[in-house]
Amino acid sequence: MSKATGTEHMAKGHRAVDGYDLYFGPVHPGSGNFGVKLTVEGERVVAARSDPGYLHRGFEKLMEYRTPMQNAVLSDRLCILESLNWNLVHAEAVDRLCGAEIPRRAKCIRVIMAELSRIQSHIIWYGVLSKALGFDTGFKVAFGYRDYVLDLFEFVTGGRVYPAGYLCPGGVRRDFPDGTKKRIEDLLVTMEKMVLEFEAYDSRTMAARCHGVGVLALDDALRLGATGPVLRACGLAADVRRDAPYEIYDELDFDIPIREEGDALARSIIRRREIGASITIIRQVLDRLPAETLPPIKPKVAVKIPEGEVYVRNEIARGEAAVYMRSTGEAQPYRCKIRGPDLLHMIPVLEHLLVGAEVADVPAIYWSLNICPADMDR
Amino acid sequence: MIHMALGVIPQLIKNLFSRPMTVAFPHEAIPIPEGYRGEHTYDVDRCTSCTLCARICPNRAIEMIEAPAERQETYPKTYPQIDLGKCCFCGLCQDICSSGALSLTKGFFLSTTDRLASVRFPFPTDDEM
Amino acid sequence: MAGVNSEQQRAELLEVTGLRFAVEPHVAADGTMWISAEHERLPELLAFLRHNGFAHCSAISVTDWPEDGEFELTYHLWSYEDKILVTVKSRIDREEATAASVISLWGPSAGIHERELHELFGVSFEGNPDLAPLFLEDWEGPPPFRKDFDWRAYVREAFYEEGNSREQSYWD
Repeated sequence: MSKATGTEHMAKGHRAVDGYDLYFGPVHPGSGNFGVKLTVEGERVVAARSDPGYLHRGFEKLMEYRTPMQNAVLSDRLCILESLNWNLVHAEAVDRLCGAEIPRRAKCIRVIMAELSRIQSHIIWYGVLSKALGFDTGFKVAFGYRDYVLDLFEFVTGGRVYPAGYLCPGGVRRDFPDGTKKRIEDLLVTMEKMVLEFEAYDSRTMAARCHGVGVLALDDALRLGATGPVLRACGLAADVRRDAPYEIYDELDFDIPIREEGDALARSIIRRREIGASITIIRQVLDRLPAETLPPIKPKVAVKIPEGEVYVRNEIARGEAAVYMRSTGEAQPYRCKIRGPDLLHMIPVLEHLLVGAEVADVPAIYWSLNICPADMDR
Repeated sequence: MIHMALGVIPQLIKNLFSRPMTVAFPHEAIPIPEGYRGEHTYDVDRCTSCTLCARICPNRAIEMIEAPAERQETYPKTYPQIDLGKCCFCGLCQDICSSGALSLTKGFFLSTTDRLASVRFPFPTDDEM
Repeated sequence: MAGVNSEQQRAELLEVTGLRFAVEPHVAADGTMWISAEHERLPELLAFLRHNGFAHCSAISVTDWPEDGEFELTYHLWSYEDKILVTVKSRIDREEATAASVISLWGPSAGIHERELHELFGVSFEGNPDLAPLFLEDWEGPPPFRKDFDWRAYVREAFYEEGNSREQSYWD
């Protein structure tokens, strides 16, 4: 098949069309609230330019006007698809600044909720990737299973999707209600069933559409700033939970799936295996959960953060999340810089991967990076 | 491995004999747990007007207003008016309330076509009395 | 938290950086290292760190100190091999806010942070070819994350009406 460009093809007196701009998003059912401007020649993308900013809320500035408890409530919305993970990063930053001692039970609850949020985020990813590839059943089944996790969140935190700063500075806003442990154990059995179902569906179509698509080499990944599953698919065993453990991760024994190929299929396999790894983590923490009861944390209007600065990194479902918090002794942080994995994944990595891809592969590449415009734009 | 060999046929057969995940709301419902952060309930007689709820609210959804003229004798201070349009239902006001006057219930049927209906006045109106 | 190996490497790094660049790095309680450097020596220090294993530029941030008339740049670097986090801090003048870009050391992963800071704080990074606006469209005002930009006044004027009873609370 000839790879004639538009100009050569149209040379016979038609209007020369070298290429045109194709907007993938933001008003597109398969793109989230983010757009990529693709310059396309025939079926091939020759250039890509990300168009961020549709969800820019000025978070870093908003946080400068609020006290830590109010910021904890706000931190859900950094990326609502993994709200409890972002609650945790923010809570750890404030805790380290205050030098607070978190009770062991609170640390265990934090890890359980963060891992459940990771499972829930990967379920959303699976559903949206299926939808983008045209496999609508996968989308419906994934979101159906996600609802069981959300029911547990409603039971524990009071809200299905927005936990309202459940993991807050000082521990957790309130202790697990009676019967939570049993509910989590039942939920994990359902999740294992779900993983088997995903594996069953995944045999041919998904694998064929993701195999060899969007290949990222390791040195490109490091240069472009990829973290999390995107980097682990290139062969580097980097996970903040192992490299710089926080909460009680240093006591736990869990797998970190690594692949070498760096393509969309490798990233997909890693995320599916991570659901299994999270289930193992939660079971270990449930065994270690101390029996004491925690009092609910009463918010205070004017509690000052001691002066200092801290940079806290966590491993969220999408990659490495970090908060740089600088306080001058007031009740509000002086500067709160939020580093999300998606600023790197959605701009340098995406623009690099889309060049040379075919238009039909664009959704597979796009969603294999598991992007979230919310923590890119903040 | 059998899954891959037979495709989705095993799953199809399983699906024919299992119940769908869908809960046919409103004919069936999943029970709402205790501790759900829904609509507010406010008891003006327990309120001490400490104004902590208005100060902790991250969105300035609570405004302390004076009682209407005819009630100012019994209620001389200021009382919280909650704008549910601004509220994010975080429950910080419930946690900080020193007298237990303000708390969140399990009510979530809050959609309305009347814009002012989402502003909750602290005193019962005449037709509610 | 970190293993003994990391402790040793951290101590070595501390000594070497301290001696070579005449800076005083200190290690915080959680194991992270903080180095304050003069702006003139910053490119050298960052290149040294890059070539000693700090392949990951986690974030670049700017803190605005209007009373001192300075911006404080912070570079947060992570080494995958030695598992050490280093933050390099340096102050630049607020009026003439320029700094050398580190895009030659860390590539677009640093370049994208510089692009964001250019838009939101107004810091120019010399050597970065792509400092086009990132989030804001058609923004003509001052860089919005600076402390002297009164964003509440801007939002009130652009979006709210004083006569609207539900928006009264935004007028303090």
